[in-house]
Amino acid sequence: MSATGAPPGPVPLQERSIFAMGGGGFTMEPANPLLDDYVLSLARAREPRILFLPTASGDTTPQINAFKARFTGRTCVAEHLSLFRLRETRRPLSELVAEQDILYVGGGSMRNLLAIWRAHELDTMLVEAWERGTVLAGLSAGAMCWFQYGLTRSSGPPEPLEGLGLLDGSLTVHTDGEPERLPVWLAHVRDGTLPGGWALDDGVGLLFRGRTLDRVVSSRPGAEAQRVDAIAGELVRRRIQPDLLGSRANDPLGGYDEAVEELRRVHRLRRGTGGRRS
Amino acid sequence: MPARAPQIVALGGGGFSMEKEGSLLDDYILSLLDAERPRVCFLPTASGDADHYVVRFYRRFSPGCEASHVSLFRRDQGTGGVEDDLAAHLLSQDLIYVGGGNMVSMLGAWRAHGLDSILRKAWRKGIVMCGPSAGSLCWFTQALSAFHGAPRPVRGLSILPYSNCVHYDAEPARREEYHRAVADGMSAGFAVEDGVGLHFRGTRLERVVSSRPEGRAFMVQSQGSRVLETPLETHYLGETLKTPRTIALAEPVAA
Repeated sequence: MSATGAPPGPVPLQERSIFAMGGGGFTMEPANPLLDDYVLSLARAREPRILFLPTASGDTTPQINAFKARFTGRTCVAEHLSLFRLRETRRPLSELVAEQDILYVGGGSMRNLLAIWRAHELDTMLVEAWERGTVLAGLSAGAMCWFQYGLTRSSGPPEPLEGLGLLDGSLTVHTDGEPERLPVWLAHVRDGTLPGGWALDDGVGLLFRGRTLDRVVSSRPGAEAQRVDAIAGELVRRRIQPDLLGSRANDPLGGYDEAVEELRRVHRLRRGTGGRRS
Repeated sequence: MPARAPQIVALGGGGFSMEKEGSLLDDYILSLLDAERPRVCFLPTASGDADHYVVRFYRRFSPGCEASHVSLFRRDQGTGGVEDDLAAHLLSQDLIYVGGGNMVSMLGAWRAHGLDSILRKAWRKGIVMCGPSAGSLCWFTQALSAFHGAPRPVRGLSILPYSNCVHYDAEPARREEYHRAVADGMSAGFAVEDGVGLHFRGTRLERVVSSRPEGRAFMVQSQGSRVLETPLETHYLGETLKTPRTIALAEPVAA
């Protein structure tokens, strides 16, 4: 159930969840719902309230439309929050954020994302939401923002940027899709300007319970994560093979089998949205 | 050569983005520039760098100006905006045109990229600054923002030591909200309707111009327990643009 009155108090650390994706979800994989369905499954509510924050992109219409296309018709109550478009809502931000079960942060400029959140005091509201057990999810800038540091291209060339620090270490994203990021990140980890952390391919997500990594999942066969640390000036790199979502062995929720796919095709036809989008 | 006086034209609403025949305010602003083909840079930050806004800017200004824009959201994507040295580019302009949208989000993004200090420097240098809505509010000490919840005063760049309220005619509750804010301690300032521009030289209001015959602007200040609203003499640009006159206002507002 969603909070309707005063927001509940803090939950124990291990009940706080963050799901950080290196890329993927509705903005990058319009034909593959595996990561987004996984995000919905993380909420305790049976019909979770999910709020999309497209701040890092400047609230672009394509991102908002992709969000609606993905979550309309799923078992959830989906809304987005614009920090640019006037008069889309006149409700106080704190109220809107407090009633959500999931806060899903889109990609774009990590530098702008954090600066704009701070200007609206949304950074504090998001930390409080996490403490109350609201699931925090996001990709790219929307994933790096939860860590001590990310590696951003907000000003052009990749550079380290401090995040909100709910999670220890640093994160770099799009390791396969934007190969120029990884070497810069590795160099910073090696010389100690960045703490060790994770490098994620597109389609890979890290689930943290509290500050502990609980599970690594993927929407794409072959996509990988790696944990990297600098020990005595040398990089120690460890590959992590994610659990592929949608395969029965890895998905206790029942997965992405043919019957489910068939049912979704029927839903799509009923909604009149036709087949796959490109 | 003597330094050019700093100038700001703060629009309550209007200009190319809001008016179909919105050329009068933009023409007035362009008439303040000395260059034959002025360098004009657009900052669409308050709209989240909305593509349609950028397109409309170029449509309006590229025929007569060296037009450019700075995008703070797509600096990695080579979208034709200025990407390298933002300071050098902005400080070489004749006019910086700030688009409308959300002022709080805009100022947050500006600070993150150092644009707040660059723009102060540009103003001191005599580069003309202008813009509607958020592009007006941002120059003042305080602005009335009606975004997410009850209207409240928010801080701007504090170049102009007054408060500002835009779209004064667009919403019935605006006037009451602004008066209440000023009564509650917000700085004295200017309420401006759509289509009306405040032209400041330094921090002194020099002229009020309008693209509409009926456009109005007001000085709003508290006096004891009362709030006074004084209409400002406004010059309709449809008649006066060809022969601009300098008309002294009765009382410049004290800082």
